[in-house]
Amino acid sequence: MAQPLRLCLSVFLVLISALGVVDLIAPPPAEAQKKILNIAAKEPDTLDPHSSTLGQSQAIARFMFRGLTRFAIKNSKVTTAEVEPDLAESWTLSPEGTIWTIKLRKGVQFHKGYGEMTAEDVKWSFERQISHAPGTRYGVNLEVIKSIEVVNPYTLQIALKAFDPIFLLRMVGYQNGYIVSKKAMEKLGDGFKWNPVGTGPFYFERHSPREKIVLKAFDKFYGGRPQIDEVHWYDVPEDATKLIGLEKGTFDLLYPEAVTADFADQVKRMGAVIDRRGPGGQERIYINMTQPPFDDIRVRKAFMHAIDRKAIKETMYPGSLARLATSCLPDGYFGHIPMEFPPYNPELAKKLLAEAGHPNGFTVKNYFISKSFFYPKLMTLAQEQLRKVGIIVELQVVEHATFHENIRKNLDPFVVYGGTRITDADPWLSLFFDGKEIPDPASGNKGTNFAHYRGMDDLLTSGRVERDVKKRAAIYAEAQKRLQKELVCLPISDVPGQWARNPKRVSTPFDPEYGEFSLHYSYNYPELLKVLN
Amino acid sequence: MLQYIARRLLVAVPMLLGAMSIVFFAMRVLPGDPCVAMMGDQATSGALADCNKSLGLNRPLAVQYVDYLWRSVRFDFGNSFRQGYPVSDYIARMFPHTFILVVASAIVAALVGIPIGIVSALKRRNPLIDYPLRIIALLGLSMPVFWLGILLLIVFSLRFDLFPLIGGGDLDGVMAMIGSGEMFTQPRDFLAAVADVLHHLALPALALGFTLAATVSRLSRSAMLEVISQDYIRTARAKGQRERLVVYKHALRNMLVPLLTIIGIFVAIALTGTVLTETVFTRPGLGKMLVDAIGARDYPLAQGAITVFTMTIIMVNLVVDMLYAVVDPRITYR
Repeated sequence: MAQPLRLCLSVFLVLISALGVVDLIAPPPAEAQKKILNIAAKEPDTLDPHSSTLGQSQAIARFMFRGLTRFAIKNSKVTTAEVEPDLAESWTLSPEGTIWTIKLRKGVQFHKGYGEMTAEDVKWSFERQISHAPGTRYGVNLEVIKSIEVVNPYTLQIALKAFDPIFLLRMVGYQNGYIVSKKAMEKLGDGFKWNPVGTGPFYFERHSPREKIVLKAFDKFYGGRPQIDEVHWYDVPEDATKLIGLEKGTFDLLYPEAVTADFADQVKRMGAVIDRRGPGGQERIYINMTQPPFDDIRVRKAFMHAIDRKAIKETMYPGSLARLATSCLPDGYFGHIPMEFPPYNPELAKKLLAEAGHPNGFTVKNYFISKSFFYPKLMTLAQEQLRKVGIIVELQVVEHATFHENIRKNLDPFVVYGGTRITDADPWLSLFFDGKEIPDPASGNKGTNFAHYRGMDDLLTSGRVERDVKKRAAIYAEAQKRLQKELVCLPISDVPGQWARNPKRVSTPFDPEYGEFSLHYSYNYPELLKVLN
Repeated sequence: MLQYIARRLLVAVPMLLGAMSIVFFAMRVLPGDPCVAMMGDQATSGALADCNKSLGLNRPLAVQYVDYLWRSVRFDFGNSFRQGYPVSDYIARMFPHTFILVVASAIVAALVGIPIGIVSALKRRNPLIDYPLRIIALLGLSMPVFWLGILLLIVFSLRFDLFPLIGGGDLDGVMAMIGSGEMFTQPRDFLAAVADVLHHLALPALALGFTLAATVSRLSRSAMLEVISQDYIRTARAKGQRERLVVYKHALRNMLVPLLTIIGIFVAIALTGTVLTETVFTRPGLGKMLVDAIGARDYPLAQGAITVFTMTIIMVNLVVDMLYAVVDPRITYR
């Protein structure tokens, strides 16, 4: 039997060698001269910017689309919540504060010969979302708009239902703010999802499902043609494979699923850098103040004393991988002030529990937690800390979709949650603390006020009509003080958006350490990225 | 024989319908709303209602079920909830990648597993041969495919730069050339494209094939042990035939029937193994797509993929049953 074995081995080795040689063949010269940016991320779910909810979809959208406004560059940094004109050239607001007259930049071209961008395209882009066209997700952010009137091809008037202090922030190139080509959308219909037409620095070339998306430099981009000729966006779900690719030179930029200490070490060891973009997402815990035993503020306080936030943050994101959160409204959002939270003190927690009638603690049965992202790790650490004061949490690790479903059925008495929003107090606090957002299975309300908190509705209402910036800031400062008093929210970590970059291959003009403000994307200005060799 | 094939195909129809129905209801029994899964922390009540309406999930379940079956019999599995592509197109594009991975890993598993199993059975009394082979088999069984995959990538792709890190090669191009007849008019281009596909296939097939070879070797060993304990083997040996002849002429041929059974089982195992292999090697394919679709509650995509998996397994088992008659003249089908 040795002979067949030898034969198999020989065939195997010959095959390996023969196939291996194929890779050594150099690419054709023209291909080699092109400046190609190779990105490893997951595959987007759509390229329609008004439909995309996943991080990778929103990150790639920024390469192809622009909004009326953009985050301003000040002192070589892309700012937080400060905007400047982008597709808009200028604007004025009527004295009563409800009509915006916006003048558009002239000569802005859409990709693929769809012509010049006009006020009709802007109107179309917003109205399709306001009317909740199938697949669109962000109409809710534009509900402040009463009507849109095209004055001439380069001027439009947007009438609001009431004054909106963050209107210009809503117009930023992000989610609902992107301007799409009306002509292309009417022509392509559903096909627009994978044949997007925008005004950004790169246009869509092709999509090979589960493999890659190819974007090409747009010669007529109003900001000038990008230095990079092509962007190849590879669908690489595994972080380990992404790292091997970065080391090998297959990829220049990585969008990892999670940046762990190990991941950061490997990136550093291979001479690559991590571009950290704040404020990123916040990981936090909301406590349902209506559900026993958490309806007793002493139990909520005990809960917070039992959680060592710093230890959790340092375990999950050692050193500079994240920042210890300082407020239920993340740092970097308009209106943020630092809050104080009950410090880690298990003995005090036990005492408070005893006072509240739980001398031996209590058990939270069937606590649902997502098996994805940061959720299981954070909750496992918290579970162990809570156990030390007698709060036993029986975890049920479920799929992410199940988790989202169950927390909206109020099945968890406290909810671990994460996410990013437009960087202003109003949208953030409205989503997580407005009485209208309390989830209620009976009425079908699937809101995200998991704390079931009703104590700042008056502030939110007044904040939405306040035109004085300082007064607005004071309103939201008061809102945070109320949260501090009621103890319904415990923020843990502010985790920046993080991409790994090979600096020998790709440069960005912004500092890797928080040089840009980021929402779901890390590179606000992909046209400024340069391929070095 | 033809009558038997027709009967089997007819029986396959209710089997397939049953599997499709189970998948349809199982997907809906799973907790987790597709719209919530899609929108995550962006899901507001209004957005969820819009989403449910646009996906047709607000219709009665019975209506959705009948619609699904009616469409499926025409190979129309609807559009992917997430990406909006027609599921049939998606599957048509992904399935060939998974299929060639299964076939290639089957070849690797057979080339490695069967000889090891046979030698291990024949030399079971020689610990110097049997033990190392059994250890190799055990290693294969205990080595997760994603671990072996990463290892192969580090060695053969990163260190020696012999193989590509990701992708499946231009399989679409190969198929297009076959379809258009360009494989005959432009044989050099065609061979280059095939070589590219094989180049991308080599490491994934090795990783999956090697882990599966362990199972194949253990099953082959048992099959061989059973065959060599039969009377006709003893008779052949008693007649003074050389051992090599006994093994090649009598034992191996009689081992083919259990071996075919192994191949039938192998397809099912290999299909599940493609999930991790496709993930680690970043290959397009049905396996990874199916897991993602279930996680995302993308009903049409999951239903379509499982239907194709079921059909594949049914067809492979039918072919295996047919081959029984070919390798063993005593078996006849009526």
